[in-house]
Amino acid sequence: MTRFAVQFVVIVCLLFAAELTPPVQRALVIPWTEGLASLSAALVTVFDAQVIAASRVLQSTRNGFAVSIEAGCNGVEAALILIAAMLAFPAPWRHRLLGIAAGLIAVQSLNVVRVLSLFYLGQWNARAFEWAHLYLWQVLIMLDVLIVWLIWIRLLPPDRVEAADAA
Amino acid sequence: MPPDPLRGFILRALLWLPLCFAAWYGLAAIHAGVIGSLSRGAIDLFRPGLVTGLEQAGRELVFVTRILVHPAPGQSALVLPEVNPLLYTYGLAFFAALMLAARAKLWQLAVGVLLLLPFQVWGVVFDFLLQVGIRPGPEITVQAGLSAWQREAVALGYQLGNLVFPTVVPILLWGGFNRDFIAGLRRRA
Repeated sequence: MTRFAVQFVVIVCLLFAAELTPPVQRALVIPWTEGLASLSAALVTVFDAQVIAASRVLQSTRNGFAVSIEAGCNGVEAALILIAAMLAFPAPWRHRLLGIAAGLIAVQSLNVVRVLSLFYLGQWNARAFEWAHLYLWQVLIMLDVLIVWLIWIRLLPPDRVEAADAA
Repeated sequence: MPPDPLRGFILRALLWLPLCFAAWYGLAAIHAGVIGSLSRGAIDLFRPGLVTGLEQAGRELVFVTRILVHPAPGQSALVLPEVNPLLYTYGLAFFAALMLAARAKLWQLAVGVLLLLPFQVWGVVFDFLLQVGIRPGPEITVQAGLSAWQREAVALGYQLGNLVFPTVVPILLWGGFNRDFIAGLRRRA
């Protein structure tokens, strides 16, 4: 567990340092965030036509309320933490890659729910929006990361777990 | 069929979370006082005399600095950065919910709460440094006296304290206290 913790911290630091660099921001983070805004708008317009997305901003044409998806709200940090946890844990590479792919879908799906819920919560009550935005959803997303990681550990094949342990 | 320990843990965590959030928010003013005092001590170590006082408005912390600004000719005012400590302490509710869901012992919960303190102080200190050393105009940042590399370090420290520590440290501490639970999830051949 100590070895896992050290490897996890090192990988998290490396991934976060890489994420903050301008090339990674330009090539991955900004396009991803804009895509998230577009996806959120596309989903919302299925049942609410009065929503538009421009760059990272999701806006209601009904009342002008808008949310801008920024660092910490785009699910990138949660994804990096999940990736680091799966890379640091002893497991066969095939299962790591499968776990990362499935985990990213799970985390980002919940993140879309977060964005949409905040968008409507903000139109209803500013205080509830602030609470959910700053505290509650941060924890729920990270709880999702933890649950995905624990389920992934349980799904690791026993023989390979033993082999990975011995390696 | 024996109960699924993972499912039980997840359900208990979801049940404990709102209760822990309520307790955390209810005690936030007291907690803020502790965090504020520790943060002021940490800032004094880094920049002795920069902070001359600490005030608390409900759950908000207000640092009184010796930094002067001149909003108009002949006028001067002290800079009083405000920090919302809740941004850096909500991980306490998360940690408590995880520990209670894992049926941890009380001493483990207490030790974890103490171990979270430095990370919460980190968040408040770097928020303060960001407000006096990077965000405002040169009149304030010059008086804060941060060098170029220190400003970079403050920016990175703020990101860690804001985006990583509040949610990741509670999970790491919970994992450290519940190694047997995690190990028990792995199937053995």
